[in-house]
Amino acid sequence: MSDCTVRLMLGNHAIAHGALEAGVAVATGYPGTPSSEIIEYLIDYGREFGVYAEWSSNEKVAFEIAYGAALAGARSITAMKHVGLNVAMDPLMSSAYTGVRGGFVIVTADDPNMWSSQNEQDNRWVGLHAYIPVFEPYDPQSAKDFVKMAIEFSEKHSHPVILRSVTRVSHVRGPVTVCQPAKPRYAEGYVKDPKRHALIPANARALKEELIKRWGIIERSVDELPHMYVEGGRNLIITSGVAFTYTLEAVKNYGVRASILNVVTPVPLPRKTILNAVSNADRVVVVEEGDPVVEQQLKALLYDEGIRVPVLGKAENLFNRVGELTINSVMDGLSKALNIVNPLLSKNPVKIDYTPPPRPPVFCPGCPHAASFYELKISTAKAGVKPIFSGDIGCYSLGINNPFNEQDLLTNMGSSLGLGMGIYHGTHGGEFVVAIIGDSTFFHAGLPALVNAVYNKTPMLVVVLDNRVTAMTGGQPNPTSKVDIGSVAKALGADYVSTVDPFDVKKAQEVISEAINVVRRGGVAVVVMKRGCALEATRLFRGYVVRYYVDENACKACGICYNLIACPALIPLENRKAWIDPYMCVGCSVCAQVCPYNAIRPEGNVKEWLSKWAEM
Amino acid sequence: MRLNIYLAGVGGQGLITFATVLGDAALRTGYKVLIAETHGLSQRGGSVDVHVRIGDVDAPLIPRGGADVIVAFEILEAFRAVSYANEDTVFIVNRRLIRPPATRQRIPRIEELEGILRNSIKNMHFINAYEDAVKLGNAIYENMVMLGALYSIMNLGQYIPRSIIEEAIKANVRRDVDKNIKAFALGLKYGSGTA
Repeated sequence: MSDCTVRLMLGNHAIAHGALEAGVAVATGYPGTPSSEIIEYLIDYGREFGVYAEWSSNEKVAFEIAYGAALAGARSITAMKHVGLNVAMDPLMSSAYTGVRGGFVIVTADDPNMWSSQNEQDNRWVGLHAYIPVFEPYDPQSAKDFVKMAIEFSEKHSHPVILRSVTRVSHVRGPVTVCQPAKPRYAEGYVKDPKRHALIPANARALKEELIKRWGIIERSVDELPHMYVEGGRNLIITSGVAFTYTLEAVKNYGVRASILNVVTPVPLPRKTILNAVSNADRVVVVEEGDPVVEQQLKALLYDEGIRVPVLGKAENLFNRVGELTINSVMDGLSKALNIVNPLLSKNPVKIDYTPPPRPPVFCPGCPHAASFYELKISTAKAGVKPIFSGDIGCYSLGINNPFNEQDLLTNMGSSLGLGMGIYHGTHGGEFVVAIIGDSTFFHAGLPALVNAVYNKTPMLVVVLDNRVTAMTGGQPNPTSKVDIGSVAKALGADYVSTVDPFDVKKAQEVISEAINVVRRGGVAVVVMKRGCALEATRLFRGYVVRYYVDENACKACGICYNLIACPALIPLENRKAWIDPYMCVGCSVCAQVCPYNAIRPEGNVKEWLSKWAEM
Repeated sequence: MRLNIYLAGVGGQGLITFATVLGDAALRTGYKVLIAETHGLSQRGGSVDVHVRIGDVDAPLIPRGGADVIVAFEILEAFRAVSYANEDTVFIVNRRLIRPPATRQRIPRIEELEGILRNSIKNMHFINAYEDAVKLGNAIYENMVMLGALYSIMNLGQYIPRSIIEEAIKANVRRDVDKNIKAFALGLKYGSGTA
């Protein structure tokens, strides 16, 4: 233990460090909030210990690489957000059939309350669906511990294990005991075993039988894990994950008298441990974040065992299924379930007579997407088309806001092209579709859809917003740095392909207008709007940044700049003239180009700055 | 001991760095710390909050009405934070108004907003963190001025020595460490807590 120190650590970093301590050799992932810092950490710190870590082009590819490594016998981890796991479902289902040789942990970081997601699916169901056990940590320290346990458990049973984190574990910083990384456990070679690793139907049938047997063994083995029991009387609260921490505080601070059983594995439930705890209880309450996954299994278990004890939880609507748990919602449910007074309700609320306007997230100052949306709006209006803007997942989802309103549909990674084609055919060619997709999303799920558009001759304008990084999740690199999107689109046979800089406002509008004409003639047009993310550019090239200012006398208070580009650095003054916040402006030059009165001027060498920025 | 510190501000104002420095300093002094952060899409210039809990704590989120102190990096965000306040909660508010872009709603002048807050909140402290930071050469130091203000107003010196805060700044701030330490020191003038 002398090599260990206690550090303040983000939950995701704790997960990653647990993987290092467990001797993980191969780590893969695709960025997505709230999972991104896991692979970031393994790339930044794991590589120096000999770990192979990569950002893959999508979750399916990431999953397969870690899975393949584990089939060979290496210890491996793959990490993604909850909806990312949907993309990896195909290999995931197979991985339970084949099993693995090296320990294999699949991290799903769920996002209850959808802080940065399109849904709040509870991926513990995936464990039940696929016959894969699910470990659920409740804070950063347990996150590290559970990853190590999960790797050992996986290797012992030659079976994949899911680790389910949530936003309030992944993005919580807390004390973590950090120890030396172990030597990465690579496989010595790959020993062929097609009967197990090649899932033709004859093999798969035999393996399904084996899987069911193995699942029985796993069900018994999870009883040996260190589930936590806190004695406190004949009310029993069963928890899983972060719900444990709220329940613990309810018992410690808010007058709840109950025993607590926190399970390491919500799937499958540790039957003996549970039956043991229930035998001392008159009443059972289940608290868990997300869906009633533990609750429903528990009811089935008690029914099978012929035990009649009240089980209270989400079925009674005592705890919210929508959004995340809070100490308030947990106390609300517990006070109803246990017939006690909720002391949190007695606090006098503070009343105040003013409600500020909402402050939704917006494009950053100098964001090239803002320029692109402006140009797209002007060009389509000039051409007289009223497009359906089929949007996608990324920072550019913010194009849904005023003044742009250019994200009419937006459901999942790559949906811009697929749904767009559906709108076109569903309206019998009656709608003009613009699909808007980012660089990382293009490589993730846009490629097969673009192939389909060309193959099935579906006229559409595809605008690829290429800002050189996966910006929304923190600027991770992606294939756009090595694979030119314009060349790919040309090779796939698009009828029109052009790459343009959105900071060249006039030229960008000309290119979009040309592309619109191609689509009108029935073609597939691809416009790549190429300009690096402003956050990354200002970080990479700090010394070069130029700022703009408004010449008060030249400004005619027309409002075009702040109303149409909505840059946070452009601020309307009381007299309706514009003012540029010098600490926010990053010198993109777009407002200066749209100003009809030439009232916005640079301080410094813009050409040099913009060409430096273009090196991204 | 348990301290619930609720931070509210606008994405990009350095709330996470503030929380990390404070949390790291508390941990170095021997307290347990939990910090719940906002990452991802909501970071882009939108409202953000961070929950900092120090001492005897298990759960990551502060109860509604349960903040001992609310640190608002921007004045409109102070209004949004009131559901975490009770009548004894101390408010430390940066005298800075950042207009939400593209809003049609009229926003009162900052003096009016200050007045509303003073009328409704018993323990109200206004901080000129923006001005102080700009004097040091960049608005980016605002967060460390706010940290100094929190430290002195809440008399955190009784728990965490000033030297350890400085150690935590050195360990967690990547650039211009000296300026950040100076910014922290500038913030100390807002309270009477010994430092």
